[in-house]
Amino acid sequence: MEKQQKFGLRPCTWVYLVLVGLTFVTFFIGQMGLSGLKVALAVLFIALLKGQLVGDFFMGLRRVKGLWRWPVFIWLFIPGTLITTAFYLAARAST
Amino acid sequence: MAESAVVEQNDKERRYPPGDLAIWIFILAELSVFAVFFAAYAFTRLNHVELFNEYQQHLDRRSALINTLALITSSYFVVRAVAAIKADNAKGCIRWLLAAIGMGFVFLVVKSMEYAHHFSLGVNLSTNTFYMFYLSLTFFHFMHVMMGMIILAAVAFKAKQGAYSATEHTGVETGASYWHMVDLVWLILFPLVYVMR
Repeated sequence: MEKQQKFGLRPCTWVYLVLVGLTFVTFFIGQMGLSGLKVALAVLFIALLKGQLVGDFFMGLRRVKGLWRWPVFIWLFIPGTLITTAFYLAARAST
Repeated sequence: MAESAVVEQNDKERRYPPGDLAIWIFILAELSVFAVFFAAYAFTRLNHVELFNEYQQHLDRRSALINTLALITSSYFVVRAVAAIKADNAKGCIRWLLAAIGMGFVFLVVKSMEYAHHFSLGVNLSTNTFYMFYLSLTFFHFMHVMMGMIILAAVAFKAKQGAYSATEHTGVETGASYWHMVDLVWLILFPLVYVMR
């Protein structure tokens, strides 16, 4: 799962650094007070991407074959779709 | 054998996820409940957009950032604990687990301070719809963090007793999977409640 790679860092360490970086991106979007459908969906996409990284690299699902490869992806997909729909409808109602 | 070499051996595809399969059934049940909560939040917001946007600004985003970093870091420590036990390094495994529990404490302290601030302002479940969701969602997750810390402590205790090794470490993977689920839920909760507007 975690063999040594570039600069002596394991894949899980790279993933950790990416997760930290994306967290700061989300935080600064919030701090800047950015709003609107596009911004909200971009933030949601970042969150779903982070979730998939946790599922694949931290939970170790990327090495699982068959049905059990997908529970985290499916879980992210369902609320992700519902949240997208709700925010889309809210944006449409306000225009 | 070095941790990286041992872990590389375990790199092959497997049919089932790491840990006891029963914990995965439990994890899926927990994730389903949180998914319903998230959808309920988003669709309730549909009818109260201005209220949600206004009161979201009253939340402390810096605390949420610290808590997100604490949970991501703790999850990373748990990954290292699993790698350590796979290398037959029980002491290393215990150290990583204790570090992860420490990050869990950071989360609980920061979140408690956030709650204390809101309660001091008289905020409660009936203040408005946004706070009802904020308090119930985050407190439900808060309880899962506590449960995860108890599980990690139990795993660390058993590891100290020599219950785990490179060949038998299902218990460590089981506890790790639960803890990652707690992290996973927060990764959606944080942007949804604190940032998206």
